[in-house]
Amino acid sequence: MIGTMERPVTRVATDTKPVISMVDVGMTYPNGKVALADVNVVIPAGDFVFLVGPSGAGKSTFIRLLIREQLPTGGRVVVAGRDLARMRRRDVPRLRRRIGIVFQDFRLLPAKTVFENVAFALEVTGSSRAEIRRRVPQLLNLVGLHEHDEHLPTQLSGGEQQRVAIARALVHDPDMLIADEPTGNLDPVTSWEIIQLLIQINELGTTVLMATHNQEIVNAMRRRVLALEHGTLVRDESGAAYEREY
Amino acid sequence: MSFFRFIGFAVVRAWQGFWRNAMMSLAATATVILMLILLSGLFIVISGLNSGLAFIESKVAVTAQLIDNLSEVRRDGLIEDVEGLPGVNAVLYVSPEMAMERLQKAYRERGETLDLGGADIELYASLEIALDDPAFAQAVADALGERTEVKLITTKQSEYETLLEIIGTIRMVGIVALVLVGAVVLFMIVNTIRIAVYSRANEIEIMRLVGASDSFIRWPFILEGILCGLIGGLVTVVLVAIVWDPIQPVMVTMFQMPTAVSAQFLASLSAIILGVGLGVGAIGSWISVRSNLSAAA
Repeated sequence: MIGTMERPVTRVATDTKPVISMVDVGMTYPNGKVALADVNVVIPAGDFVFLVGPSGAGKSTFIRLLIREQLPTGGRVVVAGRDLARMRRRDVPRLRRRIGIVFQDFRLLPAKTVFENVAFALEVTGSSRAEIRRRVPQLLNLVGLHEHDEHLPTQLSGGEQQRVAIARALVHDPDMLIADEPTGNLDPVTSWEIIQLLIQINELGTTVLMATHNQEIVNAMRRRVLALEHGTLVRDESGAAYEREY
Repeated sequence: MSFFRFIGFAVVRAWQGFWRNAMMSLAATATVILMLILLSGLFIVISGLNSGLAFIESKVAVTAQLIDNLSEVRRDGLIEDVEGLPGVNAVLYVSPEMAMERLQKAYRERGETLDLGGADIELYASLEIALDDPAFAQAVADALGERTEVKLITTKQSEYETLLEIIGTIRMVGIVALVLVGAVVLFMIVNTIRIAVYSRANEIEIMRLVGASDSFIRWPFILEGILCGLIGGLVTVVLVAIVWDPIQPVMVTMFQMPTAVSAQFLASLSAIILGVGLGVGAIGSWISVRSNLSAAA
């Protein structure tokens, strides 16, 4: 059950300035493995994009480059107007506050309650207690978990845990939400609930990039699809299905 | 305000980390205590011996026993000549009467009375020569040896050199032991923090992903190491304070440490213990954080 949607900042829907821009991006690991080759992608603000492809196609590398966990061996990656290769190390945390990220395995802290898990992301970035008390209930309300704030992650279902992870990813009101296989560990019904939540977050102005293997969801949504194979972007198509249809 | 929030966050996380990994943290703290006790012992012994050395230096370095019935003119001439020798600081003429007074006083201080059995005993007159540096003792003794006014020459050179040798040996052995124990302490702290870093790899990864700055990630671990040093230092200060009461009189009587110095000694030693404890804790955890944090998450 998704709660009422309240966000302190609403973005202008017509803002099409790119949030992500990749120009001739290549990534070759020291062992010679080519993870990405000549990738050119522009994702405007407010877009909802699926990143698809078989295992080993380069999806994880694509995401790691966006959050500057790695730097490309070729080309240029620009996120939120910043060229990541030119970014100083001390500016990386600020970049990451503009990018929310969720994973297939939720990555919650098991000893902390739902409230504390979300609060943790604010606490470690220097937010005041007043800010934490104001912001966390807002986010738990957004993801429909305001009544579970004292529960531990182990007391929640998989879908609820993923909602907590999404609430945590949104604490800094990011420009973009990256979801790496967010439905990979969930049953079909719960997966759809998570997708509905991501759609609502996107409608509030946050760009969503979702890496997935779930054909059913991609086919039903008919959004923009980026397909990677062997590190190459083989398809960039709007309103598309999981696989090529022509 | 945000700085205080950062400090509060780092201290709370360091405290939680210390107790979460209690066995390892306490083991590291115990090695810190061991090292600081060794350091304190060494410091006390060397300070005592240094005080003894300073006492000997301040005392007569060369004593020249004068021949009997030396005329006042010849005696004054001798004193003038000795005062002109290089390295001589002061020359004191001790008359037979003064020597007798000293002897009686020494007896009185031991609670005894000097009993000469009515005999008319006269002690010898002497010159007590204080030097700028005990190294001049041999040259002064040689110069006095050529004078006919002098019957016998005694120096404190051999006592001084023996004490210097003992201090040198203790200092060397102590420093080697301290370096070895210090290396063990560093190893323990580095490993304690390494385990803390790996046990919190998930948290560190989440912190990075949500945009925590390096200082928010690193400082709690550095403070955790400092906490090992601080707790070790405080425990050692308490232990030293407990044993200082029986040690202080020994320092004053046996090693001739001035009372004023001995009163300040515990405060100085406590500051050194805490400083070294904190320093070792900080260095160990800093090394560990530098080498392990980027690999952990």
